[in-house]
Amino acid sequence: MEWRLLPLRVDDAFVSMAIDEALLRLNAEGKSPNTIRFWRWLPSTVSLGCFQSVEREVDLEVAKRYGVDIVRRITGGGAVFHDHDGELTYSVVCRQSDLPSDIIESYKLICGGLVRGFERLSLRAEFKPVNDVLVNGKKISGNAQTRRWGSVLQHGTVLIAPDVRQMFELLKVSPEKISDKFIASVFERVTTVERELGSMPSFEEVYEAMSCGFEESLGVGFFEGELTSEELELAEKLRPRYASEEWLRKR
Amino acid sequence: MKFAEFKAPKGVIKVELELTDDKISRIMLSGDFFMYPEDAIEELEQSLNGVKADRDSLLAAVQRFYSSTGAQTPMIELEHWVEAILRAVGG
Repeated sequence: MEWRLLPLRVDDAFVSMAIDEALLRLNAEGKSPNTIRFWRWLPSTVSLGCFQSVEREVDLEVAKRYGVDIVRRITGGGAVFHDHDGELTYSVVCRQSDLPSDIIESYKLICGGLVRGFERLSLRAEFKPVNDVLVNGKKISGNAQTRRWGSVLQHGTVLIAPDVRQMFELLKVSPEKISDKFIASVFERVTTVERELGSMPSFEEVYEAMSCGFEESLGVGFFEGELTSEELELAEKLRPRYASEEWLRKR
Repeated sequence: MKFAEFKAPKGVIKVELELTDDKISRIMLSGDFFMYPEDAIEELEQSLNGVKADRDSLLAAVQRFYSSTGAQTPMIELEHWVEAILRAVGG
């Protein structure tokens, strides 16, 4: 069975979240094929896990000052700073029956696409349960999955060259705050493609590497497609909820 | 309002609660954990409402939540919720 590969898109957070949900809903209804897509965030955004409290996790004043959007995901996990200039995001949507039913095994299969993608970029990567991919023992990709209506959505990040200092101004991280010492400790735990390679690859190179990686890991062929008008219309309808204060302040 | 956070092996559980006569009268759980299905978080909160804030009562309530919903929380065990809630109770 072939899966659909969509071209790289650049959207605001609310459109991107709405597209992901539209794909998940329509896949569950049998109206959208299994799909993989890559996208970037414009403007840069902090996404919150669906169980996180916005007040406790994000410095809203700093976000306003930088013009950074904030959105709550429908997937669990932690807050992530998605830097427009330094991060590539992917989404996989497929039938639940096309993945292992065990949650960690299904993460492992999809994250396996990233591991192979990093290998294509000459980086040796490994999956770390539940939801991380590491290079040199440091996190280079975070991933989050939801299972609804019989289908699965997993989206995740590829850290290419995010602004780490800005990330820690935006996210409320313990009282230690953003001392140089704290940032140094983050550099012990998190890494980026740029740092590991010593140079910054283009978004297209990373897209190519990762999509080939997913094709290998999932063991399926991809055909290049576009979003259908039905998908775009549903996404349009779903967008306002993601942009609403009510959804943002749910927790 | 009482608040505490507890770092589980994978993920942080944050608890906001109010007590009335040693029983939980309001509770909100948040954090960077995963729960499948996601909507079950509200059932977990509901099943803790009115529960006496001691270890045994909380354990029993969380256990009932897991068996009645079949919810899955990778790397978060029943005891982690209880520990987080007890910290808030004590805090």
